[in-house]
Amino acid sequence: MTEIDLIPVWISLKTATTATIITFGLGIAAARWMAGSSFRGKSIIDALFILPLVLPPTVVGFGLLVLFGRNGPIGQVLMQFDRNVIFSWSATVIASTVVAFPLMYQATLAALEQIQPNIEDAARTLGASEWVVFHKITIPLAWPGIAAGTILAFARSLGEFGATLMLAGNIPGKTQTIPLAIYFAVEAGHNTQALYWVLAILLISLASIAALNYWKKRQYSGTGSKLAGLEEVPSHAGYKA
Amino acid sequence: MLDIKLKKSLPGFSLDVSFSVAHEILAIVGPSGCGKTMTLKCIAGLFQGDEGLIALDEKILFDAKHAINLSPRQREVGFVFQNYALFPHMRVFDNIAFGIRQLKREEIKERVSLLLQKMHLVPYGQRYPGQLSGGQQQRVAIARALATEPRVLLLDEPFSALDSIVKESLQDELLELQNFFGGHVILVTHNLAEAYKLSSKIAVYDAGRILQWGDKRTVIEQPANTSVARFTGVKNIFDAVIEESSDQQVMVCIPELEGLFRVNSKTPAGLVKGQQVGVGIRSENIKLVEGNEQNTLAAAVSRVHDEISASVYYFHPLTTGDMQPELEVRVPRLSGGELDAGARFYLHLPPENLFLIPR
Repeated sequence: MTEIDLIPVWISLKTATTATIITFGLGIAAARWMAGSSFRGKSIIDALFILPLVLPPTVVGFGLLVLFGRNGPIGQVLMQFDRNVIFSWSATVIASTVVAFPLMYQATLAALEQIQPNIEDAARTLGASEWVVFHKITIPLAWPGIAAGTILAFARSLGEFGATLMLAGNIPGKTQTIPLAIYFAVEAGHNTQALYWVLAILLISLASIAALNYWKKRQYSGTGSKLAGLEEVPSHAGYKA
Repeated sequence: MLDIKLKKSLPGFSLDVSFSVAHEILAIVGPSGCGKTMTLKCIAGLFQGDEGLIALDEKILFDAKHAINLSPRQREVGFVFQNYALFPHMRVFDNIAFGIRQLKREEIKERVSLLLQKMHLVPYGQRYPGQLSGGQQQRVAIARALATEPRVLLLDEPFSALDSIVKESLQDELLELQNFFGGHVILVTHNLAEAYKLSSKIAVYDAGRILQWGDKRTVIEQPANTSVARFTGVKNIFDAVIEESSDQQVMVCIPELEGLFRVNSKTPAGLVKGQQVGVGIRSENIKLVEGNEQNTLAAAVSRVHDEISASVYYFHPLTTGDMQPELEVRVPRLSGGELDAGARFYLHLPPENLFLIPR
C-alpha cells in the first residue's frame, strides 16, 4: 500500500457532480410545482419528497433495490431495454440523487414561498411571459435559497454511504466512492490510505463550499454588495422632492 | 372607453359589478375586502372572472361567453400594486425598463430617462428599490407601469402606505400625470377624501356589489341609499313621510324633528303621499341662523368636537319630547367666538341640500 489510489476520488466527484446537476433541475421543478399550486393531497406529496431525508439511508437503499431490482417496476422496464442499473456506476448516481433531493427541494421551496406573489404578477402585467417571469424574477429572487440548497445537495451526495452501498455495492474502480473506500480501507487496517481519502474529501468539500459561496454572491450581487448597507436606509426615509 | 361587466364568486361573497371608464380617473371606494382589488386583478388578467365582458375600446380583453381571456401581457394594462412590488434585485433604471426590454437600446434609454424626469427620479436611476423612500418607490412603480405605454392604468391603494405630506404631493403629481397619460385610470382606495380629490367618477363598493357609481358630486350630494350616505360621511339621516309631492317640490314630515321640511333636489320619481322615505343632509350644509323661517328648527348645542379647520357641533332639537335625535353641524373655524354647550340656535336645513333616500 504505497500508491495513493485516486480512482475513488474521481468516482466520487463524478457521482456527486452528476447527482447535484440532476437534483438541481428536479428540485427546482418540484419546488416550483408545489409552490404554485394547491390541491388535495399536496401535503402527502410534500412528505414523499422529504422522506429520503428522514429515513435511514439503508432503508432508502433497500427501497431503491426493490424498485430497480429484477422484479421491481423500474427494473422490469429497464430489462426490456436490456439494462440493469444495480451494481453499476449509475446506481451511485441514483442513490446520491435520491438522498440529496429533499435538501434541494426544501431550500428552494422555502425561497420560492418567500417571494411576494405581487412581484411576479407585476412582471406579468409588464408583458413578461411565464418563462421570463421565472428566469428574470423568480430564480434571481430565490437565488440565495437555491444556492444554499445546491451546496447542501452536493455535500450530501459526496458523503452518501448507506444507500450507495446497498444499491451500487463496493466495486473498486466502478462504484467505490470515497466514503466506501474509507470504510473498507479502515476495515482492512489500511489507515494511512484511509487518511489520504479523508484529506481528499475534506479538500473537495471546502473547495466546493468556497466556490458555491462565490457563485452565490456573484449571481445575486445585483443586490449582494448594495443590500449590505440597506439597513442604514429605512424604507420610510425622508421624502426628498 | 373601458367597459367592465364582471361576475366572480369569492370566498364569503361574490363579485358582481358593471361600470365603465372613459379617459378619466374613476375611483373605486369601499371597505376592505369588498372586492376592489379583485376587480383590478380581473381587469389586468391576473385573475379570471366567472362571467362577464371586459372591453377596451375595440379590443376584447375578456369575454366569458366566447371563451376569450387575454393574458396579462396582451392587455395593455398597467398595474401599480399596493406595496409597489418593485423588483428588489434590479436598479431603478432596470425596473422601469423591464416592460420595454425588447426595444432598441437607445430607445429604452430615451424612454426611461423621460420617465425618470417626469417622476422626479433622475438622481435615483442607479439605486436599488430598497434604498429609496416609500414615496420614491411609489413613483418608480408608476413610472414602470407607464413605460410600456399602457392604455389603462390601475392603481391599488397607491397612497395608503405614505405619510400625509408625501401623499399630498404625490396626489398632485398624479393629477398632472393624467394630462400626460391620457388613458383610462382606475384608482382603488378606502379613503373617500382621496377618491373625491383625484377622480371625476366614483364607484362605491360593498361586499362585491356597486352601491352607486357616477359623477363624484352626484354620489356625494345624492347618495342612492343609506349605505352610500353613511359611507360618504352623512351623519344626519332621519325617517320621514311624504306629505306632498309635485314636480317642483316635495314636502316631507320628519317625526323625530317634529316638523315639515321642503326638499328641492332631484327626487326619485313616483313618490306618493304617505310613503316612507329617508331624509339626509351633510353636516357642513346645515346653517346656523338667527330667526325661525321655513326648514328651520330650534336646537341647543349638546357637545362640541374640535377639528383642525372646523368645529363640529352636536345639537338636540328643543321641541322634541321623548326622542333625542342629534344633528351634526360642521362650521368652518372662523376668527371669533365658538359656541359652548347649551347655546341655543336655529338650524336651517336648506331645501337644495336635503336629499331623499328610497326606503
